[in-house]
Amino acid sequence: MTSTDQLPTPAVSIQGMQKFYGSFHALKNIDLTVEKGEKLVICGPSGSGKSTMIRCINRLEEHDGGRITVLGTELNDDVGNIDGIRREVGMVFQHFNLFPHMTVLENCVLAPMLVRKIPRAQAEAAAMRYLEKVRIPEQARKYPGQLSGGQQQRVAIARSLCMEPEILLFDEPTSALDPEMIAEVLDVMVSLASDGMTMICVTHEMGFARRVADRVIFMDAGEIVEMADPETFFGDPKNERTKKFLSQILGH
Amino acid sequence: MSDPSLASPPAPPGRLIDLRRRYFRTPVQAAISLACLGLLAWLAWGVLNWAVFSAEFSADASPETCRAGAGACWTVIAQRWRIILFGLYPYDEQWRSALACVVVVAMIVLSCLPSFWSGLRLAAVWVLGTAAFYILMKGGIFGLRQIGEDQWGGLALTLFIFVATCLIGFPLSIVFALMRRSKLPVISHGIGLVIDAVRSLPLLSILFAFAVVVPFMLPDFLQGGRLYRVICGAALFFAAYQAEIIRGGLQGVARGQEEAAMSLGMSYRHRVGKILLPQAMRNALPATINQFVISFKETSLVIVVGFFEILASGNAAYGTGEWTFAYREVYAFIALIYFTFVFSLSRYGAYLERRMAVGTR
Repeated sequence: MTSTDQLPTPAVSIQGMQKFYGSFHALKNIDLTVEKGEKLVICGPSGSGKSTMIRCINRLEEHDGGRITVLGTELNDDVGNIDGIRREVGMVFQHFNLFPHMTVLENCVLAPMLVRKIPRAQAEAAAMRYLEKVRIPEQARKYPGQLSGGQQQRVAIARSLCMEPEILLFDEPTSALDPEMIAEVLDVMVSLASDGMTMICVTHEMGFARRVADRVIFMDAGEIVEMADPETFFGDPKNERTKKFLSQILGH
Repeated sequence: MSDPSLASPPAPPGRLIDLRRRYFRTPVQAAISLACLGLLAWLAWGVLNWAVFSAEFSADASPETCRAGAGACWTVIAQRWRIILFGLYPYDEQWRSALACVVVVAMIVLSCLPSFWSGLRLAAVWVLGTAAFYILMKGGIFGLRQIGEDQWGGLALTLFIFVATCLIGFPLSIVFALMRRSKLPVISHGIGLVIDAVRSLPLLSILFAFAVVVPFMLPDFLQGGRLYRVICGAALFFAAYQAEIIRGGLQGVARGQEEAAMSLGMSYRHRVGKILLPQAMRNALPATINQFVISFKETSLVIVVGFFEILASGNAAYGTGEWTFAYREVYAFIALIYFTFVFSLSRYGAYLERRMAVGTR
């Protein structure tokens, strides 16, 4: 964990969070604190609630119990709070969700111009800077449909970065990609991590977790089953379910 | 072995060979093709013979000589076109009605140009266009004689009803479609009920209700003229159908689109205006053009509440004793006018589809 001299506000603090879909108990009593600058990797079998959990952090899902505090602001029904938090929390989706009717550059400058009221010239300059960071500036004038999956996901990362968020959430960013494109996206994520971005990543890329994560969380059936630094997590998992899961995804 | 990368695609067959392959492959096929060709030629001859070769084109032929001829009598159009285009509008003032038509057409054309697609420009075009139309038609200022809506007629009335219906109905349909997606059941179910109620009634009965029944229900100052009540009824009908078309378009937008916009902190207004509606309208475009076309033709129904739009004016044009035999020519002329407008509309729709296809694979 990172430590700082002043009393730090955690990036995300979740206490006793509950989430139901009808009568299905999707998240059970989640407690989790993520410090600023920390890189957290969340893994677990499908349906274990990992995506739901990070989608609660920017309120794409509403939690039904407990407290979620993001950058010192509690998430409740206050729409102003929610919009404020969403400005500071970027999200990268499994299916990229780029806006297909706009060019790459327009995708990147739209929210900064509308939400942060940044003038177009300045927003475009920033967008080109981030497109260079994800190594795709030459595609700025193209439409998303003309790009490969890996290129689209890198544009999606650049689009999030253009809002200059404090926290980036990744919801299985490489799961929809062809194998040869996974590396180019992971490389970008590694370079972001080295810049000190607070990252919460739902992913099954265990190589990435080992290399970048400060902590790895294993979730199953709506609970956090195990939480440890990567060395302990992969080298000496305590829980039987974790061991089984790791043997399944690392076994071949 | 030759290099496979040097292989070229097969050359397309010549026109004649292609025709023979498609239509004359076997004797039976050849017979069917020839029979169909003969039938088409016979029909074409019949139409051309009536409309051109045996037709009377002289502008001042008398009804009697015209009637005696074997073909069409276009004299009726030459003599009665003012009634068809302007209806009961006073003869001396018909230039105003003609100019008003030009204004409406210009308004439609300008709104169709992509360079005018900003809220401010469209609003300016519509406000100025509508004001110009109204002043020209109604008069009462600038030394123009005042002419009541009851005397409006013909093409100007048809165009006015169509444009006003769309200008009111289209924004209303977007509001309806968005309300139908509301998370509050009171709103989504309430508007659903309204849409279903309007859709389950024939347009005729809605026009009747707005023209005849509404005056009994509303205080005088809320009634407005009969023409405007009828337009409101038509706009409501348009909105109910168009709302469902837009809702269909919205359903075609991936859920992730709105989530992505939310995660970027965009407000509801921006999410709807910049992300959802542009994509939904693209999905809904073919059905939307269809709805505009239907609405244009449905303007002819206002005859039942006593307005002489172009079709009703056409009836009047041949309905004066001496020209009653020439109804075919009048209807052909009106059909040509409808066709001109509707065909332009559908070609514009095709252009929009091509334009909007940019960026989709």
